Amino acid sequence: MRILLIEDDKTTADYIAKGLQEIGHVVQVARTGRDGMLLAAGEAWDVIVTDRMLPGPDGLTILRALRASGIATPVLVLTALGEVERRVEGLDAGADDYLAKPFAFSELRARIAALARRPTPTTDPVLLQVGDIEMDLLKRVVRRNGQPVELLPTEMRLLEFMLRRPGQVLTKTMLLEGVWDLNFDPSTNLVEVHVSRLRRKLSLEGLPAPIQTMRGVGYMLGAPT
Amino acid sequence: MSAIGRLLRSFALRTALLTAFGVLGISALGLGLGWLRSSAALEEALDSTIRAEAELLLGDFQRFGAIGLTRAVEARTRDRTPSAILVQLRLPDGRPVAGSARLSGAPMGLRGFVTLKAPEGPVRTLGIGISNGFTLLVAAEFGAVLDTAATLARTLLAAGAIAVLIALGFGLFMARGLQLRLRRVSEAAEQVIRGDLARRLPLAGSADEFDRLAGTVNTLLDRQEALIEGMRQVTVDVAHDLRGPLSRLRQRLEAALARARDPNADGAAFEAALAELDTVLATFTALLRLAQLEAGPPLPPQEAPVLDLSALVARLAEAYAVVAEEAGKRLEVQVAPNQHVHGDAALLRQMLTNLLDNALTHGGQRLRVTLHPGPVLDVADDGPGIPAEERARVLRRFYRLDRSRGTPGSGLGLALVAAVAKLHGTAPTLSDAAPGLRVRVDLSGAKAEN
Repeated sequence: MRILLIEDDKTTADYIAKGLQEIGHVVQVARTGRDGMLLAAGEAWDVIVTDRMLPGPDGLTILRALRASGIATPVLVLTALGEVERRVEGLDAGADDYLAKPFAFSELRARIAALARRPTPTTDPVLLQVGDIEMDLLKRVVRRNGQPVELLPTEMRLLEFMLRRPGQVLTKTMLLEGVWDLNFDPSTNLVEVHVSRLRRKLSLEGLPAPIQTMRGVGYMLGAPT
Repeated sequence: MSAIGRLLRSFALRTALLTAFGVLGISALGLGLGWLRSSAALEEALDSTIRAEAELLLGDFQRFGAIGLTRAVEARTRDRTPSAILVQLRLPDGRPVAGSARLSGAPMGLRGFVTLKAPEGPVRTLGIGISNGFTLLVAAEFGAVLDTAATLARTLLAAGAIAVLIALGFGLFMARGLQLRLRRVSEAAEQVIRGDLARRLPLAGSADEFDRLAGTVNTLLDRQEALIEGMRQVTVDVAHDLRGPLSRLRQRLEAALARARDPNADGAAFEAALAELDTVLATFTALLRLAQLEAGPPLPPQEAPVLDLSALVARLAEAYAVVAEEAGKRLEVQVAPNQHVHGDAALLRQMLTNLLDNALTHGGQRLRVTLHPGPVLDVADDGPGIPAEERARVLRRFYRLDRSRGTPGSGLGLALVAAVAKLHGTAPTLSDAAPGLRVRVDLSGAKAEN
């Protein structure tokens, strides 16, 4: 993927760029808001990652300028101000995702991957299917290998979230946000408990485990794409 | 700046000078008017003296004829004393028949009053025509009158000058007093700036405007001191709370570094280090969030978006019921339907999550979350509870009961609950759930009609 990284702090920029290059992305770094704006508007990118605070025009200004000129490239905003209002402000400005510093690199990687594969909004399918797991969104019925599985509403939401993102690494914070609207990490192991319950309910004798745990990163449903 | 320079720039001195100039102006005005009025009055008095004399002489003329008048004029001119009345009788052609030579400068055929400039000084002269074309001149020295007016003017001038001096002196005295008083205040303020937070502005005990202002500033300083003290306490607490995990982190990394390289052991050490670091970061995030919440003004009660609190509570409670079950506990959920409030959904979710986390960590086996109509949110457990005298303190940052020191948690959970509640115009109340702890957040103030 071609990724534009707009980040003024050299250490952070180098660290992120190096990490992304190691997993095969092409990364261009812009160190000021001005350069970032020119590069963002002037070339085609798969994903743009921008810091919020920048010398020159800041991240949100760049974002608004891009959206105003009809450029819909997915944008991930990095910020040290990871609080709720700022987040809303960023999303209002047209950010596709938001990540508070300091973050784990695996989190950034998972979010970039999710952004790049963000499906173009089409009419919602009635049936979600990944491998031998299927969910009927109208009847709220889940089957594995044709056998019905009883799920609680929360587990249903969790599974739906995962079925919509097959083969993607989903981090704990992505699940907390996507399933429970929680933009912070509760001290209780909410995600672990629910994933393991869901995994247990979906397990069938002789069939492979449906949800894989990516150690220290997150979870994945289905084969990696 | 020199003392004089400082004095000149002082508000008090400017006031004093302004007062002095005011007095000066009024004095000058009074002086001028007084002088004008008094000289007019003196002139009038002189004129009536002249007129009276003239009438006496005219009486002589009527009784004794021209000869009698001439005699009378001559007699008066002979006996004249200084500054007394001068008289002269003239023929129709203007030649004097009898009387004082000093009036020879009077114009021919004079009728009425005129002031003559004579070498010996001005003379106020009245000319009267009598029969046969004769003219009678009656006059008086004007100089005496002018002298009197001048004396009066000098007296007034002296009085004005004294008044100005007194005003200036009084002003300077007041300025000095004001300056001393303000200097004491500003010295005290400088002490506070230098760090003596306990210092207060001096009061004169007179309960005047200055004392009232100083009292207000002292109240401000009290509040400031309390805030700074609180801040200092928090800083100490943060340092204290973070030293533990950070030194453990250091030890772990040091031990791992000292050991022979072994991918498995290193991996485990790194993971443990990351976990330790994450708790530190979580504490920082919670602190930041708390600071931001506490700095912000309360949500405008009727303008915040309306949200379905019943759905919000039910959804989180359901997730936590599963977590409780996995931990071998039970969470009972009772939610009154259709409870809507004006509020911030993300913050209310955080508040409930903190309450449920707390109950799961410190509570007993049976937990209860209840949303009463109102809406009033209750989260209760059957754990050891919190002693009544500790309840107010657990809402503070980093305050942890002795028995919970060993359990995970930042000591910020309830402080965050209090901050979110405050933002929604309320405060959490802690009570005894017999056994256990009940935390109640009454959100009826933020209730929205749906």
